Parts: sequence; structure tokens; C-alpha cells
Amino acid sequence: MIRLKIDHGKCTGCQECETACSMKHYTNEVNPKKSRIRVFEDEEEQRFFLIIAGPTTTAECTSKFDVVIAGQQYDGCTLCRSSCPARPWFTEPDTGVALKCDFCGDPPDPHCVKVCEKGALSIMEI
Amino acid sequence: MEAWMGKILRVNLSYGDYHIEEIDPDYLRPYLGGRGLGSKILYDEVDPQVDPFSPENKLIFMTGPLTGTGAPCSSRYMVITKSPLSGTIACSNSGGFFGPELKFAGYDGIIFEGVADEPVYLWINDDEVEIRSAAEFWGKTTHETEDFIRAKIENKYLAKEIRVASIGPAGEKLSRIACVINDKNRAAGRSGVGAVMGSKKLKAIAVRGTGKIMLPDKEAFHKAVLHARDVIRAGPVTGEALPAYGTAVLVNIINEAKILPTNNWQVTYFETANKIAGETIAETILKRPKGCFACPIACGRLTEISDPQNTGMGSPKYFKGEGPEYETVELMGASCGIDNLAAITKANYLCNEMGMDTISAAATVATAMELYEKGYLPEKDLGLKANFGNADALIILTEKMGKREGIGDIMAEGGYRLAEQYGHPELFMGVKKLEAPAYDPRGVQSMGLQYATSNRGACHVRGYAIANEILGVHVKTDPLITEGKAEMVKTFQDITAVIDSSGLCLFVALATNFLYEEIQSLINAASGAGYTVDELVSIGERISNLERLFNLKAGLTKADDTLPKRLLEEPGGPKGDVCRLNEMLPEYYQLRGWDENGVPTTDKLSGLGLQ
Ligand code: SF4
Ligand code: SF4
Repeated sequence: MIRLKIDHGKCTGCQECETACSMKHYTNEVNPKKSRIRVFEDEEEQRFFLIIAGPTTTAECTSKFDVVIAGQQYDGCTLCRSSCPARPWFTEPDTGVALKCDFCGDPPDPHCVKVCEKGALSIMEI
Repeated sequence: MEAWMGKILRVNLSYGDYHIEEIDPDYLRPYLGGRGLGSKILYDEVDPQVDPFSPENKLIFMTGPLTGTGAPCSSRYMVITKSPLSGTIACSNSGGFFGPELKFAGYDGIIFEGVADEPVYLWINDDEVEIRSAAEFWGKTTHETEDFIRAKIENKYLAKEIRVASIGPAGEKLSRIACVINDKNRAAGRSGVGAVMGSKKLKAIAVRGTGKIMLPDKEAFHKAVLHARDVIRAGPVTGEALPAYGTAVLVNIINEAKILPTNNWQVTYFETANKIAGETIAETILKRPKGCFACPIACGRLTEISDPQNTGMGSPKYFKGEGPEYETVELMGASCGIDNLAAITKANYLCNEMGMDTISAAATVATAMELYEKGYLPEKDLGLKANFGNADALIILTEKMGKREGIGDIMAEGGYRLAEQYGHPELFMGVKKLEAPAYDPRGVQSMGLQYATSNRGACHVRGYAIANEILGVHVKTDPLITEGKAEMVKTFQDITAVIDSSGLCLFVALATNFLYEEIQSLINAASGAGYTVDELVSIGERISNLERLFNLKAGLTKADDTLPKRLLEEPGGPKGDVCRLNEMLPEYYQLRGWDENGVPTTDKLSGLGLQ
């Protein structure tokens, strides 16, 4: 089994992983909105968060929570990995189909890891 | 043809409506996209004699075929219009994420016509296009504008996905050095394009796109991308220097070459340059490098400073933002005799928030300082003692310029108009009324020719000969001689026009041997258009000539292809030389196929299909 390891400190927010992920999963197109990995900027802390799509959910959570990272509070829904109807990401914009990271197939061949110039993404065997 | 979206949004602000136009492939092909296509449209649709602030002037936002594709550094869009600063054709380039988002929304570009009655902004969410009121945030900074537009969107997660390009108070007040800012800190900086946007009462464009860019063969494209990234990684400038230290890595290099404009170009070496260099930025104020869309270099600098002086903008204690870049840190620094990095950074943040070009703003402050020290600009007009080295003066004058308060009112018109008002236009360091960037041609001759002939005035990113003359990127040349420089400048200018039209960032050409073949392979892999290298070379030449024709029709002449007196007559630089423009200019005209007055010959024009 593998997992993707994220080093947030190295990410420069370039979205190349998003283009690579979408290109891998669709025929001859680039569309970051169909990527299974998304990057968001935290302007206050001047850093980037990478979120990799996890399992899907059919309804928004009823209890909301905040996540505290390095003393800074974040809205849990922004950082959640789920494909959720409350948010536009991890859902195909045109069809509504839920998206989930599949490590780019079997055997795993993560394209996002391949293109990340800054080494923010790596493969971890578990 | 893949890669292009094939559609342009034409918005008439006077009527408050828009329609979508298909791009004719035959019209597009000889101009590629971006700068080329935008300039062609401007040339065909706008009388070059037009008053830049009149409704007849148009404001064009244009991406290139590679924009958004994920090719390395494919973040770029251009803003094309007639410049209110120089009266020439203006096309300012910017990165970030706005350009790619526009393509994902389904458009290669937007043409704005007319003038709105009331302040508006354009909202684009894929097919949903709307001209909305901007009354609530007219007068706000570019940062506040972006936050405001996001806050108005009901779904706060969707709000995270929009990208905004806007103007600040400077653009609203028609400052001739106003820029367009996108993604808060990226600027389509030069030539006053922000003022044209302000004259149209267009405060911002907000865009979200969920669509795709088509590729003919994704495997082939992916291969071309990986190869181009290898080339970029292997280049010492693009693979090491820029990622580690940003563009300000140039400060020490340019200072060592003794071509670092200091005290408004009176001197070309700055004793304490290291205090404002990229290395120092990395050690002190840098929080993190930031990349534009799909950029493996990430030269952008997210920085934070303790506030050296509270001027009432932003939060009182800390300041965060992006920058400073080389030109900014040099012109606000050495050229103003200032080595206080925090003050420079703050003035940079102010420019981003107020929507002013940092090069023009800084150079205008430097001009004011020389006028003041020589006794031409009295303290009572300035409201302070603006001697070189006065960091407070830099910040205060920058803010006054943005708000057009006091002396800031004339300074907002740019360095030329300031120097002229006070009777000494010779102290303006620029060409065609555009303030010069930070390389002194007395020690790098080719840059003198480049400043004199660039179609938008004194500009470094229309032909970055520094790449060879100083950095030796492709081949190392002797910067002190004039032989061969006409050819070099022409070559650089033309390839730059191609890069600016493709949607790539000019920095790809700072990778060793990233030349036409690399650009060709990316464009063809993304579009299937099958461009030959010869075709691309002629596209570059065609764009250079088309822009020249626009300028000639606008009333510019050979007399405008010159340099400030200081560079032509006062010795400076490493060997105490002047810029020997007269040794290069006639040869340049000849190589270009222009007559002795710098007018393209009929033969040249028909060869390029411009007749
Ligand atoms: S490719 Fe790497 S640096 Fe770029 S956004 Fe993705 S993780 Fe961050
Ligand atoms: S491993 Fe593959 S599917 Fe998963 S996020 Fe990366 S590119 Fe997308």
C-alpha cells in the first residue's frame, strides 16, 4: 500500500499537480477543477495547503468544527478531504460525479508526485 | 485547433452588454495569441491617434495558446491598449492565476469598449457573464477589492475559486503610471494600462472557470512539458538563482558590473547594495517562494516586514505581501539612494495595493529627489526634504502619488511630466515617457538600443539582452562593445514577442538554450497547429513591425528612438563610457528593413503580410 506524503512547507502553490492529475484521468484535456488534488493559499500565514480527495459523502456534515494548525484556526470544511455537495471541488463540474484519488491506477503511478518540482509530494509505503 | 478556446468576449461598457465572438483561425495563426493577437485587434479596431482615455480606446485582455495548459510557466496574459503614459501601443504582461482561469471559463480574451456610466466590474462564471455595479468598492485598494468581491459570493467555498484582476485608487484617478493587479500582487505593470481601465470605470474582472483546455495528444504534450522542465531545471539562472533568491538575485550581479543605477543614474555603483539584494531578502523578510500557475521556478517572494512607518494603509503593525522584485528593489533602493529593505518593501506593498507600477513610481520618486537636490523642486511643493537616501520620503511620496495628493498629483503623471513641469525634462530617465528599468546602458550597450527602440519605451522585457551580455545564458558577449548588438537586440525583441504571444513567461528564455525549438515543441504539442520555427520567427518580426506601425501612425518618429541626455553624454558605467547609440541605431533600422527614418519599407511589410 502507498500513501501520499505532503510537505506543506515546500509547496509554492503552482497548481502543476492539479493540471497533471486532471490530464492523467481524462482524454486529452487539462482541467484543474477535475483534479483529485487541490491547492489553497492561506494568505494570512503565507502558506499553501494541499488537499487530496478522499471518500465521498452524500450530505454535508451537521456538526462543524475548526482545525488548529500551528496555533492558527481553520475551517474544517476547507481542509476536509471528502467529495462533499457543500463544496465545488472533488466533484466533476459538468456531471457531478465524485472524485477520489486512486494513486493514478494499479500499480500506483502518482502523476502529481512526478511533476512537483519542489518535492512537496512524495510516496510513502505503509 | 486545440489549446486555444476559440472565443473572445466583447464587452461594450457604454451599452452595458456583451457578446461572444469566434476567432477566425486564419486571423489568429499569423499572430499566435496573447501580445500578437491583442496588438492585431487593437491595430485593426482603434485609431492610433485616439485619446487613450476616450471611449474609442479599447482595453484588451488576451491569453496565449499555452496559458493554463500546464506547460512550464504557462500563467501569462497580456493587457493591450493605447498607453496614456507614452502614447505608444501598450501591452503589459502578468502572471499569477487570472489568465489560466479565464481560459478555463472558455475565453481566450476579453475586449472592453466604451465607458461605463457608473463604476462596474465584470463577473464571469463560465457561461454566466454579468456587468455588475462596483459602486460599493470604488475607491478601495486592489486587495480590498478582491476580498470584497469574494465576500459577496454566497458559497464561501466557491468564493475561493475565483480569480480577480482589478485597479486601485491610482487607476481610478487616471494616474498615468497605474497598473492592473491580479491575484493581489501580480501586475500588468507598465505603460499605465490601469489608468485606461479606470477611464472606462471598470474596477475589476472576477472570473471562475470549470472548463477544460483541449490537447491533441496528452502523452505527447506531457513529454514535451517534462522535457521543457528539464531544460529549465538545468539552467543556472532558472534552476538555481531565481528559485533561491528571486529576481533580486540580480542586485549584486548588476552592481558588480557597475551598471546599477544609483541616485537617479548619476552613479552606477551602490556601496551598500547587498543590504537590498535577493540574498538578504531570503535571509530576512522572505516567508516563502510563490509560483505562478504551473511554474517550476517560483521566483515570487511572499514576504513580511515590521512596519517601518505607519502610513495608514493596511494593518498598523505588520505588513505582508509579495515582493520586492529586482526592478522594484533597485529603483526604490539604489536609484533613490536607499538601502532600507523594510521601507522599500513597504513602498512596494503600497504600489500593489494602490495599483501603481513599481518601476515608474520608483523612478518618478528618484527624479523628484534629483530635482529637489538640485534646487529645482522646492520643499514647499514636496512637503518634505526629499534628499537621496531618505526612506521616509520614498514611502510618503509613494502614498501621495497613489492618492494624487499634493505633489503626488503631478507625480502620478509619471517622471517625464514631473521633470518637465519643473523645467528639467533632461532629469527624466526614460524613453518615450516610459521610465527606464534598472540596467545602465553605459556599461551594457545593447540595452541602450533596446530602450531606444522598444515599442513601448524604455523597457527591459521587450528584449532582455542582459541574458547574454551579463548573465551569459546562451552565449557570453562583451557588454561594452557595440558590434553585433543591433542583430542581438532584434533577435531578442522578436523571440520575446513570440513568448509573450504564447502565454509563457519570459523567464523560460533565461534557461540555457530555451529558444525557438523549445517554444515550438510546446506550442505544437499543445495545439497540433504544426508551426515551423521559421513561421514563429516571422511571427515575432510581424508583431514588432505591427507595433511600430501603430506608433508611427500615433505620431511618433525617429526622434523618439533616443535615450536621456545623461546616458548619451555623461560618462558612466565600468569604463566611464557613454551609450554609443548612434553606432547601433542605423544598423538596427537596416536589419529591420526600415528606411533611415525608421519607417518599415513596403517590401518588408508585404513580406510580413502587413500591407
Ligand atoms: S506541484 Fe508541488 S509546489 Fe506546485 S502546487 Fe502542487 S504540491 Fe505545491
Ligand atoms: S496520486 Fe494521481 S489521482 Fe491521486 S491526487 Fe495525485 S495525480 Fe491525482
